[in-house]
Amino acid sequence: MNRLWLFSFFILSVVGVVVGILMTRYQVLSAPEQPIAYSHKIHVEAGIQCLYCHSNPLRTDIAGIPSVKKCMGCHAVIATDSPKVQELSGYWERQEPVPWVRVNPQPDFVYFSHQPHLGAGLNCETCHGDVGRMTVTQSVVKMDMGWCLDCHLKEPQPKATRLADCLACHK
Amino acid sequence: MSKKLTRRDFIKITAGATVATGLAPAARRVVIEPFVDPPEETLPGQATWYASTCRQCPAGCGIVVRTINGRAKKIEGNPLHPLNQGKLCARGQAGLQVLYNPDRLRNAVRQSGGRGSRKYEPLYWTEALDLLKEKVASLSHPGRLAFLGGLMPDHVYQLTDRLLAALGAAPAVIYDLHSTLEGRGPAQQLSQAFFGTGDLPVYDLAQSDAVFSFGANLFETWMSPVAQSVAFGSMRQGALSGRGFIVQFEPRLSATGASADEWVPVRPGAEGFVALAIGRIIVEERLGHVGSHRDHAVLYQNVDVGEMSAASEVPVDTLRRLAKAFADADRAMAIPGGYLAGQQNGFASMLAVQALNLVVAQIGRQGGVFLSTPAPTVALRNKPRVNPFSDVLNLINRMNAGEVDLLIIHGTNPVYELPAATGFAEAITRVPYVISFSPFVDETAVWADLILPDHTYLESWGYQVPSPGTDRPVISGQQPVVRPLYDTRSTAQVLIDLAARLGGSAAEAIPWAGEETYLQEMITGLYGSSLGAFDARTSAGFWTLWRQYGGWWSEKEIRREPEITDIVQKPLPMSAPQYFGDPEEYPFHLHLYSSIALTDGRGANQPWLQETPDPMTTVQWGMWVELNPQTAESLGVGDDDIVLVESPYSALEVSVVIYPGIRPDVVAIPIGQGHQDYGRFAQAVTGSNPLGLLAPVTDPDADSLAWGATRVRLLPTGRKKKLARLESLDGQGRESIG
Repeated sequence: MNRLWLFSFFILSVVGVVVGILMTRYQVLSAPEQPIAYSHKIHVEAGIQCLYCHSNPLRTDIAGIPSVKKCMGCHAVIATDSPKVQELSGYWERQEPVPWVRVNPQPDFVYFSHQPHLGAGLNCETCHGDVGRMTVTQSVVKMDMGWCLDCHLKEPQPKATRLADCLACHK
Repeated sequence: MSKKLTRRDFIKITAGATVATGLAPAARRVVIEPFVDPPEETLPGQATWYASTCRQCPAGCGIVVRTINGRAKKIEGNPLHPLNQGKLCARGQAGLQVLYNPDRLRNAVRQSGGRGSRKYEPLYWTEALDLLKEKVASLSHPGRLAFLGGLMPDHVYQLTDRLLAALGAAPAVIYDLHSTLEGRGPAQQLSQAFFGTGDLPVYDLAQSDAVFSFGANLFETWMSPVAQSVAFGSMRQGALSGRGFIVQFEPRLSATGASADEWVPVRPGAEGFVALAIGRIIVEERLGHVGSHRDHAVLYQNVDVGEMSAASEVPVDTLRRLAKAFADADRAMAIPGGYLAGQQNGFASMLAVQALNLVVAQIGRQGGVFLSTPAPTVALRNKPRVNPFSDVLNLINRMNAGEVDLLIIHGTNPVYELPAATGFAEAITRVPYVISFSPFVDETAVWADLILPDHTYLESWGYQVPSPGTDRPVISGQQPVVRPLYDTRSTAQVLIDLAARLGGSAAEAIPWAGEETYLQEMITGLYGSSLGAFDARTSAGFWTLWRQYGGWWSEKEIRREPEITDIVQKPLPMSAPQYFGDPEEYPFHLHLYSSIALTDGRGANQPWLQETPDPMTTVQWGMWVELNPQTAESLGVGDDDIVLVESPYSALEVSVVIYPGIRPDVVAIPIGQGHQDYGRFAQAVTGSNPLGLLAPVTDPDADSLAWGATRVRLLPTGRKKKLARLESLDGQGRESIG
């Protein structure tokens, strides 16, 4: 009896961990639900560059989410009859920020800056995937440490050593 | 644990915890909120530093504030500013908690349940301004308007002054407790008496090698504590001639006294006698190196050293030793501090102390007393002058007599800051309409019908001519470092709007459209001055640099030597200290002092300041009375015992701290606690406002409140309330946190 219980608990905890890992993986690569069903595809097809809205990665750590004001810069006149755009103007009228959900979250113990990556000649799609074809934005890679090191270690020496240093990202 | 954990339970818990841990990351959902309307000059994640001016006390130190994503994160001293030279005190650092204080008013309000009800109804600013205009316009006579202010920023004062003059109303009455405790009013009069100007003198601490401080808490709250602390550093490190020394004369050892080389516990109010005796000894025994003392003999012709020694309880030998040290120093200086002004003979004592600088010929000399040069800042120097205390009492009488129909209050909290015995709290109920500009509901704002909350200083424009200044002309510039958090409005802007609504002479006197245009116009006089630390080609460029530097100042040192008035030709007045309360019945002198963290109580709503241990007693979040061990023994009380402190006016209960650094006939209570209103943090500390104990007596010569002249008695209550202290002073151990 005791043995059976022990066994079933053991199985249960193993299943729990496995399900947890799978769900994390699924969640990382799935598209989080956003407050407004925003489509990158429509905007990229309209010829808007990434840097028009996410305007800071060349200058600072963060690419930046466009301010509500920037959205309204166009949407005060464009597609005003779309219900999604009307939702947006609701935020603007209430002077509230849109509570977007982060698609590529990083833990607090990771230091990441966009600036050196763009400086090294990477483009947005390398890491973020073909966002221009996404109607619902989702992550295309699991941005974990192995994935970072995949590239960092491929760099020529002595750069690779420097980029593989713990303190490069954990500082 | 009473129940034994079974094996089964253990496994259940373990399995549950494992599942929960495994699933936890799946629940992670990070919301990122963009700006609705981003501030200019910001990059997400990168700091922008704005230069501005601290308003936690009237000193006017330059600050730089680190802002990230439009939020103010850290305040530091402005390294370019000549006054504080990159340094900042704890109060300045805590300024963020004024900005982010949860008890701030978020919009204009009217008390809907009548005054004192603490029930508020929000008002749109247009409505609020219309109401303000209507109240001002419907006055039967402009004389029925009274404006009571604290030491407000100079530009607000100038607008107030213009507006009141245009309306034909009396000028603002300026009173606040901080300036009372530092003796600002009497210091202005002292300057007038000696140098014929109301400008406060600058005491050149940095280059002095012997400083006799008479009740000046130089490194705590007096005048410009950060500048004085910086100067103290230079003085001690002996840039000129080795380590200078400081002697502190005061009945209770303050934190400044603890930094001094010698503490002389003088009988309260007898500090002037010490100064007279030292002067007399120097003149009589021809001490020092300034040659003849014949010119000064007249000052001391009535002084008897023996009598002075007896009255001040400082032995003649000590006086002689100190006189010799003072006269022999190369650059000696005596400083008449704020504590002197708190006595009924305060002005006479201050004259006696300042005269010592004359005797050693240190007026206008290096390491002595000089005046700051106004240079092109003259136009901006219309500063709020602290009013004589009789003006305050007069206002209270007028309020009581029903001669005031509209009372406007800015930057002061008189219900808390005036001794209860003056009857202000009752007088305010007799005024038909009261308007407050306070960003917080303080004890006075509770009695206002309408509150038009000002921005906090990190959201405001302005400028301030530091007074006392420094070795060169300086103006500290103030600019918003963040957008206003709430729907508050700067008082300067409200006054401008009011003038526009009133029209006529008021609109002519204040023709500006907004606060910023007003400021730009006021500082144009500085543009083009050859003295400035920066050069601009256009006035627009000057405005930009003004904001980048955080003000304007001269690149070079320019000192002004004071011209001494005919005061030197008369004997110095001698006036015995007087105390309120029968010495038989009330055996102790009550020594109130400005708390280093809370100052006059305005810091009590900032938890960082409440948390800051008092440097001498290490008490945090509390209020206490300091007793000499001998006094405590005679009363049979120990640390943390509650005693009743009773004056002829009132009484309060407070816990005891046994403190060896105080005369046995003196008991000391810090000012700052005992708030009935002013927000959750201020009200969290139980206690009563010690100002309630004070008798409303004044020094007739300086016409200032003699806040140090009340006697009290102590009655043990037999109860105990433990104070939170970082360390004990009993010498039993050196325990610290934990």
